[in-house]
Amino acid sequence: MKMDGMTIRHASAMPAPTWSWLKMNDVTVKIPDGLERTCQVEIEAGDTLDNTTSFESAIARLQERLDAERSDARADSRAICVAATRKDKGAEDLDVPALSSYEKRAALSEMAGDVAADFETGIGINARAYLNFLAGGTAVLAAEAGETEQANIRVTAENGTASGASVDIIAEDGATFAVTISLDSTAEQPTFMGSTLRVFAGRGARVDLTVYVTASDAVTLMEDSGFVLDEDARVTVRHVVLAGGFTATGLAADLRGDRSRIDVETSYLAAGTEQRDFNYVIRHRGRKTLSNMDANGVLTGSSKKCLRGTIDLIHGAKGAEGAERETVLLANHGVDNKTIPTILCDEDDVAGNHGATIGHVRPEQLFYAACRGLSQEQTEALFLSAKLEDAALRAPNDAIRAHVVRLGNQIVPDFEEEIA
Amino acid sequence: MSATPLLSITGLTASVDEKTILHGIDLDVAAGETHVLMGPNGAGKSTMGHVIMGDPVYTVNEGTITFDGQDITDLSPDKRSRAGLFLSFQAPVEIPGVPLSSFLRASIAGRPGLEMKGKEFRRRVKELAAELDMDTAYLNRELGVGFSGGEKKKVEMLQLLLLQPKLAILDETDSGLDVDALGVVSRGMDAYRRSTDGSLVIITHNTRILEHLEVDRVHVMVNGRIVREDDASLIPWIDANGFDSFEREAAEQLAAGESR
Repeated sequence: MKMDGMTIRHASAMPAPTWSWLKMNDVTVKIPDGLERTCQVEIEAGDTLDNTTSFESAIARLQERLDAERSDARADSRAICVAATRKDKGAEDLDVPALSSYEKRAALSEMAGDVAADFETGIGINARAYLNFLAGGTAVLAAEAGETEQANIRVTAENGTASGASVDIIAEDGATFAVTISLDSTAEQPTFMGSTLRVFAGRGARVDLTVYVTASDAVTLMEDSGFVLDEDARVTVRHVVLAGGFTATGLAADLRGDRSRIDVETSYLAAGTEQRDFNYVIRHRGRKTLSNMDANGVLTGSSKKCLRGTIDLIHGAKGAEGAERETVLLANHGVDNKTIPTILCDEDDVAGNHGATIGHVRPEQLFYAACRGLSQEQTEALFLSAKLEDAALRAPNDAIRAHVVRLGNQIVPDFEEEIA
Repeated sequence: MSATPLLSITGLTASVDEKTILHGIDLDVAAGETHVLMGPNGAGKSTMGHVIMGDPVYTVNEGTITFDGQDITDLSPDKRSRAGLFLSFQAPVEIPGVPLSSFLRASIAGRPGLEMKGKEFRRRVKELAAELDMDTAYLNRELGVGFSGGEKKKVEMLQLLLLQPKLAILDETDSGLDVDALGVVSRGMDAYRRSTDGSLVIITHNTRILEHLEVDRVHVMVNGRIVREDDASLIPWIDANGFDSFEREAAEQLAAGESR
């Protein structure tokens, strides 16, 4: 049965919005009309496909421990907490500050310390609900304590369909879990695809997630994820977004446990009229937690990109450090590039850093390339093919590599042979 | 000189930001010849190289450039390159994000007789790198990024040998190089001449780079004008006397012209 089109507003919303006129606070995702719901998902997970555990139970165990640790702690009497929990008395009590709705929500969240209630994904609840609906159910992949496991998830979508995957990934204490997700489609008519992920990394666990997006121009795509990290957990994420008419990538991470760490590496390309949207929200709640976001991309044609990166250093995250960097090359003056790094801070003993390098292809570079026989279009293609070459060489498996090669062959003849 | 020159420049006047840099330049270079363009700093030598190659920074106000029988005055630089012209840059640019090997591969793509498949290309480029004493590790690095001045010039020579143009303009390829690197550049020019019998227009201040070359014609440029042309015997004279006399004559002629 064909479904009506749908619009998801305020997707990938920044936690603390900026000026509305900048049009960067969130994104609107338009799901095409007349798509047929399918679930074209393959999961290659061996013994890790598990019906006996759940994301909720993993979170509940963590909550139990955190509550036990907090039981002796004194109630938080900071003015911000007082303000969040009682009625505003106006000028009667000038020691209690007025709070914005964001501050009030943040203060209540800090006081409650409720891991499940705080759970979020990068694109947000509406996107997750729609992807869950498409998937029809959630697959649970679990690596038992101390085990090393791996899983491959492949999502495809044929012409005129809407296809989605919903997966929970649980790495128990001390486990190592490597997961790859491929979102690939060669559809030539309007099509939708996506994935939604919940990831729990237990004490000392390690999760390595690699996501490759190689969908065609006709595809609207959402790739959404939310992470919860216990003590000493370590997560690395690699987002490689190489194609797709409109793509939204979202990641939210809750560094709940002390000394937990997440490293996110994003590599993207956009050509023609393609649009890329990224929303990263990393909340440091545990002490000495670490995060790094590193994005690197190339924009050509009249493509658009918006990257929101928020590091939230929450009260109590003493010794936490977060850093975000982006390097983007604008190979054409027609591109629209937006980057908004945000560091929120409610703790003294923390460090937050951000940096962005935005480079245009300079006229002298174009002239140099022209002196070697390359037109402006060929020079732009060179930046794209160099990026694709790197993506192909670092592809986690042959199937994903083949998808990258397919994209490369559209830009450079004999791309496969050239990188052999 | 053969009847039809490979490169023929006639009455070329060019400007940048409404300031005229080149004034009525005439120059013919026949196939297989080596010409040297000399002159003091700011004479317009590099500008001439860039204008011949079609640098959009400059405006051609008058005159024509004919190459291999075709009027290329209005042709884009990439098409001039594919027609067989080559300009080696005095200060080669860096292109972050693009590995040198990818750039080289793109530059030969679609050129009849030069296109090579993956393995053949890699073998050829490694051969050329060895000939130029160049570490092949540079091939996988981003073009020019972190290269020393000498390495950048070697990359220019490597491209010259790979592309085998009909005519190469070498814009102060020898500047800022130590003796060893100068030797490499000389070897590159020799190899180019041996393998292609192509024409060379060498822009230089330094007569040392010319010691091992058979030079057919020397042109001296001052204030955007060619003020003297002669055979290779002019090189040792310039080596001994410099450009002072040419500059004086040019100044006198300019003053005489203005007083009229």
